[in-house]
Amino acid sequence: MSAAANISAVEVNGASKIFNSGTANQVDALLDVNLTIAPGEFVSLIGPSGCGKSTLLRLIANLLEPTQGEISVNGKTSAQARLDQDYGMAFQQAGLFDWRTVSKNIELPLELKGWDKKKRESRAAEMLDLVKLQDFGNMYPWQLSGGMQQRVAIARALAAHPPLLLMDEPFGALDEMTREYMQGELLRICAETSTTVVFVTHSIPEAVYLSNRVVVMSPRPGRILEIISVNLGSKRSELTRAADGFFKSITAVREALRGTHAQHVASTAIRGAEDR
Amino acid sequence: MKTLDRIKSITTPFVFGVAFIALWEGAVKGFDLKPYFLAAPSKIIEQFFNNTARIWEATAVSGGNALVGLIVGTILGIAMSFILSRFRFLSQLVTPLAISLNAIPIFVLVAVLNNMYSITSEIPRRFMVTLVVYFVVLVNVARGLTQVSSIQVELMRSYAASEFAILRKVRVPNAVPYLFTALKVAAPASVITAFVSEYFGGLQNGLGSRITSNIANSKNAAAWAYVLGACLLGLAFYTVSIILENLTRRGQSK
Ligand SMILES: Nc1ncnc2c1ncn2[C@@H]1O[C@H](COP(=O)(O)OP(=O)(O)OP(=O)(O)O)[C@@H](O)[C@H]1O
Ligand SMILES: [Mg+2]
Repeated sequence: MSAAANISAVEVNGASKIFNSGTANQVDALLDVNLTIAPGEFVSLIGPSGCGKSTLLRLIANLLEPTQGEISVNGKTSAQARLDQDYGMAFQQAGLFDWRTVSKNIELPLELKGWDKKKRESRAAEMLDLVKLQDFGNMYPWQLSGGMQQRVAIARALAAHPPLLLMDEPFGALDEMTREYMQGELLRICAETSTTVVFVTHSIPEAVYLSNRVVVMSPRPGRILEIISVNLGSKRSELTRAADGFFKSITAVREALRGTHAQHVASTAIRGAEDR
Repeated sequence: MKTLDRIKSITTPFVFGVAFIALWEGAVKGFDLKPYFLAAPSKIIEQFFNNTARIWEATAVSGGNALVGLIVGTILGIAMSFILSRFRFLSQLVTPLAISLNAIPIFVLVAVLNNMYSITSEIPRRFMVTLVVYFVVLVNVARGLTQVSSIQVELMRSYAASEFAILRKVRVPNAVPYLFTALKVAAPASVITAFVSEYFGGLQNGLGSRITSNIANSKNAAAWAYVLGACLLGLAFYTVSIILENLTRRGQSK
Protein backbone atom coordinates (compact mmCIF):
# COMPACT_ATOMS: atom_id res chain seq x y z
CA MET A 1 0.00 0.00 0.00
CA SER A 2 2.72 2.48 0.96
CA ALA A 3 4.65 1.82 -2.22
CA ALA A 4 1.50 2.34 -4.23
CA ALA A 5 1.00 5.76 -2.68
CA ASN A 6 3.29 7.50 -5.17
CA ILE A 7 1.98 5.63 -8.21
CA SER A 8 -1.09 7.24 -9.76
CA ALA A 9 -4.19 5.09 -9.96
CA VAL A 10 -4.91 6.53 -13.41
CA GLU A 11 -2.80 8.70 -15.63
CA VAL A 12 -4.10 10.04 -18.93
CA ASN A 13 -1.49 11.89 -21.01
CA GLY A 14 -2.54 13.88 -24.05
CA ALA A 15 -5.19 11.35 -25.03
CA SER A 16 -7.29 11.98 -28.14
CA LYS A 17 -9.86 9.74 -29.73
CA ILE A 18 -11.11 10.03 -33.28
CA PHE A 19 -13.73 7.53 -34.46
CA ASN A 20 -13.89 6.50 -38.13
CA SER A 21 -10.91 8.65 -38.93
CA GLY A 22 -10.74 9.88 -42.51
CA THR A 23 -14.27 8.82 -43.44
CA ALA A 24 -17.44 10.85 -43.83
CA ASN A 25 -18.53 9.66 -40.37
CA GLN A 26 -15.44 10.93 -38.60
CA VAL A 27 -16.13 11.92 -34.98
CA ASP A 28 -13.57 13.79 -32.94
CA ALA A 29 -14.67 12.48 -29.57
CA LEU A 30 -11.79 13.52 -27.30
CA LEU A 31 -9.04 16.09 -27.73
CA ASP A 32 -5.84 16.20 -25.72
CA VAL A 33 -7.15 15.02 -22.36
CA ASN A 34 -4.77 15.09 -19.39
CA LEU A 35 -5.87 13.69 -16.05
CA THR A 36 -4.07 12.22 -13.07
CA ILE A 37 -5.99 10.41 -10.36
CA ALA A 38 -4.42 9.46 -7.03
CA PRO A 39 -5.13 6.14 -5.31
CA GLY A 40 -8.26 6.27 -3.19
CA GLU A 41 -9.58 9.33 -4.96
CA PHE A 42 -13.18 9.62 -6.16
CA VAL A 43 -13.36 11.53 -9.44
CA SER A 44 -16.51 12.30 -11.41
CA LEU A 45 -16.73 13.14 -15.11
CA ILE A 46 -19.54 15.50 -16.06
CA GLY A 47 -20.43 17.25 -19.29
CA PRO A 48 -23.06 17.59 -22.00
CA SER A 49 -24.31 14.47 -23.74
CA GLY A 50 -21.92 13.21 -26.41
CA CYS A 51 -18.88 15.01 -24.98
CA GLY A 52 -16.91 11.80 -24.67
CA LYS A 53 -17.30 10.78 -21.01
CA SER A 54 -18.00 7.15 -21.83
CA THR A 55 -15.23 7.21 -24.40
CA LEU A 56 -12.73 8.43 -21.82
CA LEU A 57 -13.86 5.70 -19.42
CA ARG A 58 -13.47 3.06 -22.14
CA LEU A 59 -10.00 4.34 -22.93
CA ILE A 60 -8.99 3.93 -19.30
CA ALA A 61 -10.53 0.45 -19.36
CA ASN A 62 -8.60 -0.40 -22.55
CA LEU A 63 -11.85 -1.32 -24.26
CA LEU A 64 -10.84 1.33 -26.82
CA GLU A 65 -7.39 2.40 -28.00
CA PRO A 66 -6.57 6.11 -27.98
CA THR A 67 -5.83 7.68 -31.36
CA GLN A 68 -3.10 9.65 -29.64
CA GLY A 69 -1.61 9.84 -26.18
CA GLU A 70 -0.96 7.38 -23.42
CA ILE A 71 -2.93 5.93 -20.55
CA SER A 72 -1.58 4.09 -17.56
CA VAL A 73 -3.43 2.41 -14.75
CA ASN A 74 -1.70 1.47 -11.51
CA GLY A 75 1.66 2.29 -13.11
CA LYS A 76 1.08 -0.22 -15.95
CA THR A 77 -0.17 0.28 -19.48
CA SER A 78 -3.96 0.16 -19.59
CA ALA A 79 -3.72 -3.03 -21.68
CA GLN A 80 -1.68 -4.78 -18.98
CA ALA A 81 -4.03 -3.47 -16.28
CA ARG A 82 -6.98 -5.00 -18.13
CA LEU A 83 -5.22 -8.36 -18.44
CA ASP A 84 -4.47 -8.23 -14.72
CA GLN A 85 -8.09 -7.31 -13.95
CA ASP A 86 -6.90 -4.21 -12.11
CA TYR A 87 -10.29 -2.56 -12.44
CA GLY A 88 -13.97 -3.39 -12.15
CA MET A 89 -16.66 -1.84 -14.29
CA ALA A 90 -20.36 -1.00 -13.96
CA PHE A 91 -22.78 0.56 -16.43
CA GLN A 92 -26.19 2.24 -16.45
CA GLN A 93 -27.78 -1.14 -17.19
CA ALA A 94 -26.76 -3.69 -14.60
CA GLY A 95 -25.88 -6.11 -17.43
CA LEU A 96 -26.43 -9.16 -15.26
CA PHE A 97 -26.55 -12.60 -16.83
CA ASP A 98 -30.16 -13.83 -16.71
CA TRP A 99 -29.18 -17.49 -16.70
CA ARG A 100 -26.94 -17.13 -13.65
CA THR A 101 -28.02 -16.72 -10.06
CA VAL A 102 -27.02 -13.56 -8.22
CA SER A 103 -24.08 -15.37 -6.61
CA LYS A 104 -22.93 -16.86 -9.91
CA ASN A 105 -23.06 -13.40 -11.47
CA ILE A 106 -20.74 -12.08 -8.78
CA GLU A 107 -18.45 -15.08 -9.27
CA LEU A 108 -18.05 -14.52 -13.02
CA PRO A 109 -14.92 -12.32 -12.92
CA LEU A 110 -13.40 -14.72 -10.42
CA GLU A 111 -14.10 -17.71 -12.69
CA LEU A 112 -12.18 -15.94 -15.43
CA LYS A 113 -9.32 -15.38 -13.02
CA GLY A 114 -9.24 -19.12 -12.48
CA TRP A 115 -10.22 -19.13 -8.80
CA ASP A 116 -11.44 -22.44 -7.42
CA LYS A 117 -15.08 -22.95 -6.50
CA LYS A 118 -14.72 -22.69 -2.75
CA LYS A 119 -12.78 -19.45 -2.86
CA ARG A 120 -15.27 -18.00 -5.34
CA GLU A 121 -18.26 -18.91 -3.20
CA SER A 122 -16.84 -17.43 -0.05
CA ARG A 123 -15.91 -14.21 -1.86
CA ALA A 124 -19.38 -14.00 -3.41
CA ALA A 125 -20.94 -14.37 0.04
CA GLU A 126 -18.63 -11.65 1.35
CA MET A 127 -19.63 -9.31 -1.50
CA LEU A 128 -23.33 -10.03 -0.92
CA ASP A 129 -22.83 -8.97 2.69
CA LEU A 130 -21.11 -5.81 1.53
CA VAL A 131 -24.05 -4.76 -0.67
CA LYS A 132 -26.55 -6.04 1.92
CA LEU A 133 -28.12 -8.72 -0.25
CA GLN A 134 -27.06 -11.74 1.78
CA ASP A 135 -30.45 -13.44 1.38
CA PHE A 136 -30.61 -13.10 -2.40
CA GLY A 137 -27.64 -15.17 -3.56
CA ASN A 138 -29.74 -17.98 -5.01
CA MET A 139 -32.24 -15.76 -6.80
CA TYR A 140 -32.11 -14.86 -10.47
CA PRO A 141 -31.51 -11.25 -11.54
CA TRP A 142 -35.03 -10.76 -12.91
CA GLN A 143 -36.42 -11.51 -9.46
CA LEU A 144 -34.69 -8.39 -8.09
CA SER A 145 -35.63 -4.69 -8.23
CA GLY A 146 -33.59 -2.29 -10.35
CA GLY A 147 -31.72 -0.93 -7.36
CA MET A 148 -30.91 -4.41 -6.11
CA GLN A 149 -29.67 -5.44 -9.57
CA GLN A 150 -27.40 -2.41 -9.63
CA ARG A 151 -26.01 -3.39 -6.23
CA VAL A 152 -25.27 -6.86 -7.61
CA ALA A 153 -23.47 -5.23 -10.55
CA ILE A 154 -21.35 -3.21 -8.11
CA ALA A 155 -20.64 -6.33 -6.06
CA ARG A 156 -19.55 -8.09 -9.25
CA ALA A 157 -17.33 -5.17 -10.25
CA LEU A 158 -15.64 -5.26 -6.84
CA ALA A 159 -15.54 -9.04 -6.41
CA ALA A 160 -11.88 -9.43 -7.37
CA HIS A 161 -11.03 -6.51 -5.06
CA PRO A 162 -9.71 -4.38 -7.91
CA PRO A 163 -8.00 -1.16 -6.82
CA LEU A 164 -9.99 0.81 -9.40
CA LEU A 165 -13.71 1.04 -10.14
CA LEU A 166 -14.97 2.53 -13.43
CA MET A 167 -18.65 3.47 -13.45
CA ASP A 168 -20.72 4.85 -16.33
CA GLU A 169 -23.92 6.47 -15.03
CA PRO A 170 -24.54 3.48 -12.77
CA PHE A 171 -27.48 5.11 -10.99
CA GLY A 172 -28.97 6.80 -14.06
CA ALA A 173 -31.93 4.45 -14.28
CA LEU A 174 -32.87 4.61 -10.58
CA ASP A 175 -35.48 6.76 -8.88
CA GLU A 176 -34.29 9.70 -6.76
CA MET A 177 -34.70 7.97 -3.36
CA THR A 178 -32.94 4.77 -4.40
CA ARG A 179 -30.29 6.85 -6.08
CA GLU A 180 -29.43 8.79 -2.91
CA TYR A 181 -29.39 5.57 -0.93
CA MET A 182 -27.05 3.96 -3.48
CA GLN A 183 -24.74 6.98 -3.39
CA GLY A 184 -24.36 6.55 0.35
CA GLU A 185 -23.76 2.82 -0.09
CA LEU A 186 -21.15 3.39 -2.77
CA LEU A 187 -19.22 5.80 -0.56
CA ARG A 188 -19.35 3.35 2.34
CA ILE A 189 -18.19 0.43 0.18
CA CYS A 190 -15.37 2.39 -1.42
CA ALA A 191 -14.20 3.65 1.96
CA GLU A 192 -14.24 0.10 3.36
CA THR A 193 -12.29 -1.27 0.40
CA SER A 194 -10.18 1.88 -0.29
CA THR A 195 -11.09 1.76 -3.96
CA THR A 196 -10.32 4.51 -6.47
CA VAL A 197 -13.38 5.48 -8.50
CA VAL A 198 -13.91 7.18 -11.86
CA PHE A 199 -17.61 7.96 -12.07
CA VAL A 200 -19.53 9.31 -15.08
CA THR A 201 -22.74 11.16 -14.29
CA HIS A 202 -25.17 13.77 -15.60
CA SER A 203 -26.22 14.90 -12.15
CA ILE A 204 -24.36 17.82 -10.59
CA PRO A 205 -25.48 17.09 -6.99
CA GLU A 206 -24.50 13.45 -7.44
CA ALA A 207 -21.05 14.39 -8.73
CA VAL A 208 -20.49 16.84 -5.88
CA TYR A 209 -21.81 14.56 -3.15
CA LEU A 210 -19.59 11.67 -4.17
CA SER A 211 -16.40 13.22 -5.43
CA ASN A 212 -13.10 14.58 -4.26
CA ARG A 213 -12.81 16.21 -7.68
CA VAL A 214 -15.30 16.88 -10.46
CA VAL A 215 -13.96 16.97 -14.03
CA VAL A 216 -16.06 19.26 -16.23
CA MET A 217 -15.86 18.51 -19.94
CA SER A 218 -16.71 20.59 -23.02
CA PRO A 219 -19.03 19.60 -25.87
CA ARG A 220 -17.50 17.70 -28.77
CA PRO A 221 -14.61 17.40 -29.26
CA GLY A 222 -14.41 16.60 -25.56
CA ARG A 223 -11.77 18.49 -23.63
CA ILE A 224 -11.34 19.06 -19.92
CA LEU A 225 -12.60 22.57 -19.19
CA GLU A 226 -12.07 22.68 -15.48
CA ILE A 227 -11.38 20.38 -12.54
CA ILE A 228 -13.23 21.43 -9.39
CA SER A 229 -12.08 20.19 -6.01
CA VAL A 230 -14.87 19.48 -3.56
CA ASN A 231 -13.91 20.14 0.05
CA LEU A 232 -16.56 18.34 2.03
CA GLY A 233 -14.26 16.10 4.03
CA SER A 234 -13.97 12.37 3.71
CA LYS A 235 -16.94 11.42 5.93
CA ARG A 236 -20.10 12.35 4.09
CA SER A 237 -23.63 11.75 5.27
CA GLU A 238 -27.15 12.93 4.56
CA LEU A 239 -26.22 16.10 6.45
CA THR A 240 -23.67 16.84 3.75
CA ARG A 241 -26.51 17.45 1.33
CA ALA A 242 -27.61 20.43 3.44
CA ALA A 243 -24.12 21.83 4.04
CA ASP A 244 -22.99 25.22 2.73
CA GLY A 245 -19.95 23.73 1.00
CA PHE A 246 -22.23 21.35 -0.88
CA PHE A 247 -24.18 24.19 -2.47
CA LYS A 248 -21.02 26.19 -3.15
CA SER A 249 -19.53 23.29 -5.05
CA ILE A 250 -22.76 22.69 -6.95
CA THR A 251 -22.72 26.32 -8.04
CA ALA A 252 -19.08 26.06 -9.07
CA VAL A 253 -19.74 22.98 -11.24
CA ARG A 254 -22.86 24.55 -12.70
CA GLU A 255 -20.96 27.69 -13.66
CA ALA A 256 -18.21 25.65 -15.25
CA LEU A 257 -20.84 23.75 -17.24
CA ARG A 258 -22.61 27.00 -18.15
CA GLY A 259 -19.30 28.23 -19.52
CA THR A 260 -19.40 25.28 -21.84
CA HIS A 261 -23.00 26.03 -22.61
CA ALA A 262 -22.25 29.68 -23.42
CA GLN A 263 -19.35 28.57 -25.62
CA HIS A 264 -21.55 26.03 -27.34
CA VAL A 265 -24.20 28.64 -28.09
CA ALA A 266 -21.54 31.11 -29.24
CA SER A 267 -19.94 28.59 -31.59
CA THR A 268 -23.26 27.62 -33.15
CA ALA A 269 -24.08 31.32 -33.50
CA ILE A 270 -20.83 31.87 -35.36
CA ARG A 271 -21.47 28.86 -37.55
CA GLY A 272 -24.93 30.21 -38.23
CA ALA A 273 -23.39 33.56 -39.22
CA GLU A 274 -20.93 31.82 -41.54
CA ASP A 275 -23.78 29.97 -43.19
CA ARG A 276 -25.41 33.26 -44.06
CA MET B 1 -57.15 -17.02 -8.67
CA LYS B 2 -54.15 -18.54 -10.48
CA THR B 3 -55.52 -22.07 -10.43
CA LEU B 4 -58.95 -20.82 -11.49
CA ASP B 5 -57.35 -19.14 -14.51
CA ARG B 6 -55.50 -22.32 -15.33
CA ILE B 7 -58.62 -24.46 -15.11
CA LYS B 8 -60.38 -21.95 -17.34
CA SER B 9 -57.58 -22.03 -19.88
CA ILE B 10 -57.92 -25.80 -20.15
CA THR B 11 -61.69 -26.18 -19.96
CA THR B 12 -62.57 -23.48 -22.49
CA PRO B 13 -60.87 -25.11 -25.50
CA PHE B 14 -61.95 -28.54 -24.23
CA VAL B 15 -65.62 -27.54 -24.09
CA PHE B 16 -65.26 -25.92 -27.50
CA GLY B 17 -63.69 -29.07 -28.94
CA VAL B 18 -66.40 -31.33 -27.56
CA ALA B 19 -69.11 -28.98 -28.83
CA PHE B 20 -67.50 -28.93 -32.27
CA ILE B 21 -67.38 -32.73 -32.49
CA ALA B 22 -70.98 -32.98 -31.28
CA LEU B 23 -72.02 -30.48 -33.95
CA TRP B 24 -70.12 -32.49 -36.61
CA GLU B 25 -71.77 -35.73 -35.49
CA GLY B 26 -75.17 -34.00 -35.41
CA ALA B 27 -74.68 -32.54 -38.90
CA VAL B 28 -73.70 -35.88 -40.41
CA LYS B 29 -76.67 -37.62 -38.76
CA GLY B 30 -79.16 -34.78 -39.17
CA PHE B 31 -78.49 -34.07 -42.86
CA ASP B 32 -77.85 -37.75 -43.52
CA LEU B 33 -74.48 -36.99 -45.16
CA LYS B 34 -73.03 -39.89 -47.13
CA PRO B 35 -69.84 -41.42 -45.61
CA TYR B 36 -67.86 -40.72 -48.82
CA PHE B 37 -68.72 -37.01 -48.37
CA LEU B 38 -68.04 -36.62 -44.66
CA ALA B 39 -67.55 -39.38 -42.10
CA ALA B 40 -69.14 -39.10 -38.65
CA PRO B 41 -66.74 -38.73 -35.71
CA SER B 42 -68.18 -41.87 -34.14
CA LYS B 43 -67.33 -43.86 -37.31
CA ILE B 44 -63.83 -42.36 -37.36
CA ILE B 45 -63.21 -43.34 -33.75
CA GLU B 46 -64.53 -46.80 -34.49
CA GLN B 47 -62.16 -47.14 -37.47
CA PHE B 48 -59.34 -45.79 -35.35
CA PHE B 49 -59.76 -48.46 -32.70
CA ASN B 50 -60.37 -51.22 -35.25
CA ASN B 51 -57.10 -50.40 -37.01
CA THR B 52 -54.85 -49.34 -34.13
CA ALA B 53 -52.10 -51.80 -35.08
CA ARG B 54 -51.90 -50.61 -38.70
CA ILE B 55 -52.26 -46.97 -37.78
CA TRP B 56 -49.53 -47.41 -35.21
CA GLU B 57 -47.28 -49.02 -37.81
CA ALA B 58 -47.77 -46.17 -40.26
CA THR B 59 -47.34 -43.61 -37.48
CA ALA B 60 -44.08 -45.26 -36.47
CA VAL B 61 -42.80 -44.96 -40.05
CA SER B 62 -43.74 -41.28 -40.50
CA GLY B 63 -42.78 -40.45 -36.91
CA GLY B 64 -39.46 -42.25 -37.33
CA ASN B 65 -38.67 -40.31 -40.47
CA ALA B 66 -39.61 -37.06 -38.76
CA LEU B 67 -37.55 -37.89 -35.67
CA VAL B 68 -34.42 -38.90 -37.57
CA GLY B 69 -34.65 -35.74 -39.70
CA LEU B 70 -35.33 -33.61 -36.64
CA ILE B 71 -32.30 -34.91 -34.76
CA VAL B 72 -29.87 -34.84 -37.69
CA GLY B 73 -31.14 -31.43 -38.85
CA THR B 74 -30.83 -29.98 -35.36
CA ILE B 75 -27.28 -31.24 -34.89
CA LEU B 76 -26.17 -30.00 -38.32
CA GLY B 77 -27.98 -26.67 -37.79
CA ILE B 78 -26.27 -26.10 -34.44
CA ALA B 79 -22.87 -27.06 -35.86
CA MET B 80 -23.27 -24.71 -38.81
CA SER B 81 -24.50 -21.83 -36.63
CA PHE B 82 -21.28 -22.06 -34.59
CA ILE B 83 -19.23 -21.88 -37.76
CA LEU B 84 -21.29 -18.92 -39.01
CA SER B 85 -20.96 -17.00 -35.75
CA ARG B 86 -17.21 -17.52 -35.92
CA PHE B 87 -16.83 -16.30 -39.50
CA ARG B 88 -18.94 -13.22 -40.05
CA PHE B 89 -18.46 -13.09 -43.83
CA LEU B 90 -19.90 -16.60 -44.16
CA SER B 91 -23.01 -15.61 -42.29
CA GLN B 92 -23.54 -12.69 -44.66
CA LEU B 93 -23.54 -15.24 -47.46
CA VAL B 94 -25.55 -18.00 -45.88
CA THR B 95 -28.18 -16.24 -43.73
CA PRO B 96 -30.11 -14.58 -46.61
CA LEU B 97 -29.96 -17.88 -48.47
CA ALA B 98 -31.29 -19.80 -45.47
CA ILE B 99 -34.10 -17.31 -44.93
CA SER B 100 -35.20 -17.37 -48.57
CA LEU B 101 -35.03 -21.18 -48.61
CA ASN B 102 -37.33 -21.13 -45.61
CA ALA B 103 -39.90 -19.20 -47.60
CA ILE B 104 -40.20 -21.71 -50.46
CA PRO B 105 -41.70 -25.20 -50.08
CA ILE B 106 -38.45 -27.05 -50.63
CA PHE B 107 -40.01 -30.41 -49.79
CA VAL B 108 -41.06 -30.71 -53.43
CA LEU B 109 -37.40 -31.59 -53.93
CA VAL B 110 -38.29 -35.00 -52.55
CA ALA B 111 -39.62 -35.95 -56.00
CA VAL B 112 -36.14 -35.43 -57.41
CA LEU B 113 -34.55 -37.28 -54.51
CA ASN B 114 -36.91 -40.24 -54.97
CA ASN B 115 -35.51 -40.53 -58.45
CA MET B 116 -31.96 -40.68 -57.13
CA TYR B 117 -32.56 -43.44 -54.57
CA SER B 118 -34.16 -46.87 -54.82
CA ILE B 119 -37.91 -47.14 -54.24
CA THR B 120 -37.38 -48.89 -50.89
CA SER B 121 -35.21 -46.15 -49.45
CA GLU B 122 -36.25 -44.02 -46.48
CA ILE B 123 -33.44 -41.58 -47.24
CA PRO B 124 -35.29 -39.09 -49.50
CA ARG B 125 -37.99 -38.36 -46.90
CA ARG B 126 -35.54 -38.20 -44.00
CA PHE B 127 -33.27 -35.96 -46.03
CA MET B 128 -36.18 -33.60 -46.72
CA VAL B 129 -37.05 -33.34 -43.02
CA THR B 130 -33.38 -32.79 -42.19
CA LEU B 131 -33.17 -29.95 -44.67
CA VAL B 132 -36.26 -28.16 -43.36
CA VAL B 133 -35.20 -28.53 -39.72
CA TYR B 134 -31.60 -27.59 -40.52
CA PHE B 135 -32.49 -24.11 -41.80
CA VAL B 136 -34.93 -23.33 -39.00
CA VAL B 137 -32.35 -24.29 -36.36
CA LEU B 138 -29.47 -22.62 -38.18
CA VAL B 139 -31.15 -19.22 -38.53
CA ASN B 140 -32.39 -19.12 -34.93
CA VAL B 141 -29.31 -20.43 -33.15
CA ALA B 142 -27.00 -18.21 -35.23
CA ARG B 143 -29.12 -15.27 -34.10
CA GLY B 144 -28.82 -16.36 -30.47
CA LEU B 145 -25.06 -16.67 -30.75
CA THR B 146 -24.55 -13.25 -32.32
CA GLN B 147 -27.27 -11.06 -30.82
CA VAL B 148 -25.79 -10.85 -27.34
CA SER B 149 -25.94 -7.84 -25.07
CA SER B 150 -23.06 -5.50 -25.92
CA ILE B 151 -22.66 -4.67 -22.23
CA GLN B 152 -22.13 -8.33 -21.41
CA VAL B 153 -19.48 -8.68 -24.10
CA GLU B 154 -17.79 -5.48 -22.94
CA LEU B 155 -17.79 -6.79 -19.36
CA MET B 156 -16.19 -10.02 -20.51
CA ARG B 157 -13.52 -8.08 -22.36
CA SER B 158 -12.90 -6.07 -19.21
CA TYR B 159 -12.24 -9.39 -17.46
CA ALA B 160 -9.66 -10.12 -20.19
CA ALA B 161 -11.82 -13.04 -21.35
CA SER B 162 -10.79 -14.93 -24.51
CA GLU B 163 -13.15 -15.26 -27.48
CA PHE B 164 -13.67 -18.86 -26.44
CA ALA B 165 -14.65 -17.85 -22.89
CA ILE B 166 -17.10 -15.31 -24.34
CA LEU B 167 -18.55 -18.06 -26.52
CA ARG B 168 -18.92 -20.46 -23.59
CA LYS B 169 -20.18 -18.05 -20.95
CA VAL B 170 -22.18 -15.54 -22.99
CA ARG B 171 -23.04 -16.66 -26.52
CA VAL B 172 -24.00 -20.28 -25.85
CA PRO B 173 -26.24 -19.61 -22.82
CA ASN B 174 -27.80 -16.73 -24.75
CA ALA B 175 -28.55 -19.05 -27.69
CA VAL B 176 -30.29 -21.77 -25.62
CA PRO B 177 -33.76 -20.14 -25.61
CA TYR B 178 -33.34 -19.47 -29.35
CA LEU B 179 -32.70 -23.18 -29.91
CA PHE B 180 -35.93 -24.11 -28.16
CA THR B 181 -37.89 -21.50 -30.09
CA ALA B 182 -36.49 -23.13 -33.23
CA LEU B 183 -37.44 -26.61 -32.01
CA LYS B 184 -40.98 -25.46 -31.26
CA VAL B 185 -41.26 -24.52 -34.94
CA ALA B 186 -39.15 -27.38 -36.29
CA ALA B 187 -40.88 -30.23 -34.41
CA PRO B 188 -44.34 -29.84 -36.03
CA ALA B 189 -42.66 -28.86 -39.33
CA SER B 190 -40.70 -32.13 -39.30
CA VAL B 191 -43.94 -34.12 -39.00
CA ILE B 192 -45.63 -32.13 -41.75
CA THR B 193 -42.62 -32.51 -44.03
CA ALA B 194 -42.50 -36.26 -43.36
CA PHE B 195 -46.18 -36.58 -44.41
CA VAL B 196 -46.11 -34.36 -47.41
CA SER B 197 -42.94 -36.03 -48.69
CA GLU B 198 -44.93 -39.27 -48.90
CA TYR B 199 -47.20 -37.74 -51.54
CA PHE B 200 -44.30 -37.53 -53.99
CA GLY B 201 -43.75 -41.23 -54.50
CA GLY B 202 -41.25 -43.55 -52.86
CA LEU B 203 -42.14 -46.04 -50.13
CA GLN B 204 -45.90 -46.23 -49.42
CA ASN B 205 -45.82 -47.23 -45.75
CA GLY B 206 -46.37 -43.95 -43.86
CA LEU B 207 -49.43 -42.07 -42.64
CA GLY B 208 -49.52 -39.75 -45.64
CA SER B 209 -49.64 -42.54 -48.19
CA ARG B 210 -52.22 -44.46 -46.14
CA ILE B 211 -54.49 -41.43 -46.12
CA THR B 212 -54.33 -41.11 -49.93
CA SER B 213 -54.76 -44.83 -50.57
CA ASN B 214 -57.79 -45.06 -48.26
CA ILE B 215 -59.40 -42.07 -49.95
CA ALA B 216 -58.69 -43.64 -53.35
CA ASN B 217 -60.56 -46.73 -52.12
CA SER B 218 -63.46 -44.58 -50.82
CA LYS B 219 -62.69 -45.65 -47.27
CA ASN B 220 -63.33 -42.18 -45.99
CA ALA B 221 -63.70 -43.00 -42.30
CA ALA B 222 -60.48 -45.04 -42.36
CA ALA B 223 -58.67 -42.14 -44.04
CA TRP B 224 -59.94 -39.88 -41.26
CA ALA B 225 -58.70 -42.37 -38.70
CA TYR B 226 -55.21 -42.02 -40.17
CA VAL B 227 -55.63 -38.23 -40.10
CA LEU B 228 -56.39 -38.57 -36.41
CA GLY B 229 -53.16 -40.54 -36.02
CA ALA B 230 -51.31 -37.79 -37.85
CA CYS B 231 -52.79 -35.14 -35.52
CA LEU B 232 -51.73 -37.13 -32.47
CA LEU B 233 -48.20 -37.52 -33.85
CA GLY B 234 -47.88 -33.79 -34.55
CA LEU B 235 -49.20 -33.02 -31.07
CA ALA B 236 -46.75 -35.44 -29.49
CA PHE B 237 -43.78 -33.78 -31.21
CA TYR B 238 -44.97 -30.32 -30.23
CA THR B 239 -45.63 -31.35 -26.62
CA VAL B 240 -42.15 -32.84 -26.23
CA SER B 241 -40.54 -29.67 -27.60
CA ILE B 242 -42.51 -27.58 -25.10
CA ILE B 243 -41.63 -29.86 -22.20
CA LEU B 244 -37.95 -29.67 -23.16
CA GLU B 245 -38.17 -25.89 -23.28
CA ASN B 246 -39.77 -25.69 -19.86
CA LEU B 247 -37.16 -27.99 -18.36
CA THR B 248 -34.34 -25.70 -19.44
CA ARG B 249 -36.05 -22.37 -18.88
CA ARG B 250 -35.94 -22.45 -15.07
CA GLY B 251 -39.19 -20.51 -14.93
CA GLN B 252 -37.68 -17.42 -16.51
CA SER B 253 -40.21 -14.71 -17.29
CA LYS B 254 -39.41 -14.37 -20.97
N1 LIG C 1 -17.87 3.20 -31.38
C1 LIG C 1 -18.09 4.43 -31.84
N2 LIG C 1 -18.03 4.70 -33.16
C2 LIG C 1 -18.26 5.93 -33.62
N3 LIG C 1 -18.55 7.00 -32.85
C3 LIG C 1 -18.63 6.81 -31.53
C4 LIG C 1 -18.41 5.51 -30.95
N4 LIG C 1 -18.58 5.61 -29.61
C5 LIG C 1 -18.87 6.91 -29.37
N5 LIG C 1 -18.91 7.63 -30.51
C6 LIG C 1 -19.17 9.06 -30.63
O1 LIG C 1 -18.28 9.74 -29.78
C7 LIG C 1 -18.92 10.83 -29.13
C8 LIG C 1 -18.77 10.70 -27.64
O2 LIG C 1 -19.53 9.59 -27.22
P1 LIG C 1 -19.65 9.17 -25.70
O3 LIG C 1 -20.49 7.97 -25.65
O4 LIG C 1 -18.30 9.08 -25.11
O5 LIG C 1 -20.41 10.40 -25.07
P2 LIG C 1 -20.93 10.60 -23.58
O6 LIG C 1 -20.30 11.83 -23.06
O7 LIG C 1 -20.77 9.37 -22.81
O8 LIG C 1 -22.46 10.90 -23.85
P3 LIG C 1 -23.71 10.55 -22.91
O9 LIG C 1 -23.67 11.52 -21.80
O10 LIG C 1 -24.87 10.78 -23.79
O11 LIG C 1 -23.55 9.14 -22.48
C9 LIG C 1 -20.36 10.82 -29.60
O12 LIG C 1 -20.51 11.79 -30.61
C10 LIG C 1 -20.55 9.43 -30.15
O13 LIG C 1 -21.45 9.48 -31.23
MG1 LIG D 1 -22.11 7.87 -22.03
